[in-house]
Amino acid sequence: MKKISHYYSLTPEWMPQLAKQSGGKMIGDKIITFPKKIGNGHCYFSEVTPNISVVFMDVFLNNPLKIHRQKSDHELYIFHFDLSEHINLIKINNHDYEIGSYDKLDLAIIDNQIESSYKPALKERTFALRILVDKKMLADFISKYPEIEYKGSLNDRVGKEMFYHYGNIDSNSILLLQSLKTKSIHDLSFESFLKGITLKLLGNFFSKFYDIDKKKNNLTQAESDAINKTKKYMLSNLYSPFPSVIFLASMAGMSESKYKMAFKENTDTTPNNFFIQEKMNLAKELLKSGEYHSLTEVMYELSYSKLSYFSSKYFELFKHKPMDDFIKKSILKNQH
Amino acid sequence: MKTIEHFYSADLDWVQNLADQFGGEVKESFIVIPEDIQTGTRYFLKCDEGIIAYYIDVEYKKELHLIQRNSNPNFVGYYYNLTEGNATVSGPDFMYNVTKWQYNLSVIDGALSSDYHVTRGSKTFALCIFIRKDIIESFAIKNNIFLPDIDKIINPKLNTIVRFDRMSDDSLHILDDLRKVKVGGPIFDLYLTGSVHMLIANYLKKIATKRIIIQTVNQQDLATIISIQMYLTAHLEDHFPSIKQLANKANMSESKFKSLFTKITGNTPNVYFVENKLLLAKELLEAKELSISQIADKLHFTNNSYFASKFKEYFGLSPKAFVKEL
Repeated sequence: MKKISHYYSLTPEWMPQLAKQSGGKMIGDKIITFPKKIGNGHCYFSEVTPNISVVFMDVFLNNPLKIHRQKSDHELYIFHFDLSEHINLIKINNHDYEIGSYDKLDLAIIDNQIESSYKPALKERTFALRILVDKKMLADFISKYPEIEYKGSLNDRVGKEMFYHYGNIDSNSILLLQSLKTKSIHDLSFESFLKGITLKLLGNFFSKFYDIDKKKNNLTQAESDAINKTKKYMLSNLYSPFPSVIFLASMAGMSESKYKMAFKENTDTTPNNFFIQEKMNLAKELLKSGEYHSLTEVMYELSYSKLSYFSSKYFELFKHKPMDDFIKKSILKNQH
Repeated sequence: MKTIEHFYSADLDWVQNLADQFGGEVKESFIVIPEDIQTGTRYFLKCDEGIIAYYIDVEYKKELHLIQRNSNPNFVGYYYNLTEGNATVSGPDFMYNVTKWQYNLSVIDGALSSDYHVTRGSKTFALCIFIRKDIIESFAIKNNIFLPDIDKIINPKLNTIVRFDRMSDDSLHILDDLRKVKVGGPIFDLYLTGSVHMLIANYLKKIATKRIIIQTVNQQDLATIISIQMYLTAHLEDHFPSIKQLANKANMSESKFKSLFTKITGNTPNVYFVENKLLLAKELLEAKELSISQIADKLHFTNNSYFASKFKEYFGLSPKAFVKEL
């Protein structure tokens, strides 16, 4: 396997090394065309703003290749977007990650202080975009939103300064990257287009991760409305037994399985658990009301028939026994 | 009617003056103007050295007359104007309607004084880009373009660039996308700069492919074709009306209609219709109010799988995959 190594900087100063190692031809300080021995394709570089640069790679490999990225002193984060329709390997901190194709994870963020290697698949069109961002610029975002919560499944922080992240590209960004696939790098408009795409991708990334208002809810409005309707029904019937999923699903106009799935999406729990929780909240209110003579009375009021079951559910939720909350109806009160 | 004399430039020195003329003020990157003149947002940003973006999303409460007299004519202004209502740009020997459904892209040399009239009640969404001339020139020389076209875009009398055109559909969608983003803050700045670059890319593409300049098309023909475009956009939920029907509406023969439509919009009527339909489908998916099959029904696609395949063909991923990672 041929191994080439390179480093990144925000300016094109890193390009001659990659061109030399790969035996490719450098055109201006923008394009490196790879030699046939490696594959058909090229690498396109552009400085978007003083803080942001972009590397675009589109290559069909003829021979195995490992591209090793050395760490460098430049304070950068590297956003790697992979839109290849197959799987490539990216090695970060001695872990291999599969990257590419839509169903898999296709976005990696790597600190320039961590080395990584990229192994594009053989005899496939590899299509990747890397955005290099100055840490200072990101610091502006991070200082505004100190709690960074990533949705990605594998995410790790190495020390305070260095981290990497691995996750999914959002749909609108996929559309942007797809539109790049059909463009030729030799078009007059390509560079402006690439710059535009780069900035929008970053915009999408930040708004996805920092927009707290955004609901992460995959239901349509109509579905949410239907679920809310059944929730409302349950809330107004807390004194009765659980109305059954069949009944609730038909109320929502969905199949049982669809209803259960949608309910979970909406409420993060099952209909039955939701109902029990609300029932227990009501139980607590009743227990504290001082209107009942015994626990059994409250239990019957809520249509339970076994005190032990009622108590165990109560304990599950509040971590203490119903008896602890119970205020007995006082006889004195009655005399008043 | 309120009359204001002001200037623009490829720098930000015009901002304070414009705000003063309106009796308003500059707050961060916003120009705040008294609400009895207009309501809405005006936002400016330096995108790059010599490239300024000026974002306008306002409703006018008074009739306005803006006189642009630039002290430093060293720039060209690109005005992407999606006004609903009445707005005109006039100069010493020309006058054009520059609203959404008319000449919605004007390119005007900073050396030229022009008058902008907009009526009360008009709603304007516009993006103005001011680019320094030496940047355009060095770009033109580097890429060996613009020059064969330059005689066409220079007004012989004044020897300045004046061009009234219609933006491509792509550009229109870039603006629509931008409008969805909340104005202000570093994230918006990324989107705004990105959109400016993409609009420039589209403009360059247009020049490179030497599409005709709309200014040279017969006014009557242009108005007719645009009315058909409006008709199609208003009926995106229906099936495609036949070419015969459209040609009838336009009072032209089918062949003349087809060729003229393609010449002006850059697409055949059917492609124009389907693309806009798919973009509408995408918006509906983003809104998350309807399911994929409901959308397919609403937009009269024969069935879900046909909708999915068309969507994938155009956007590169299926509606389901699109919804998944929204």
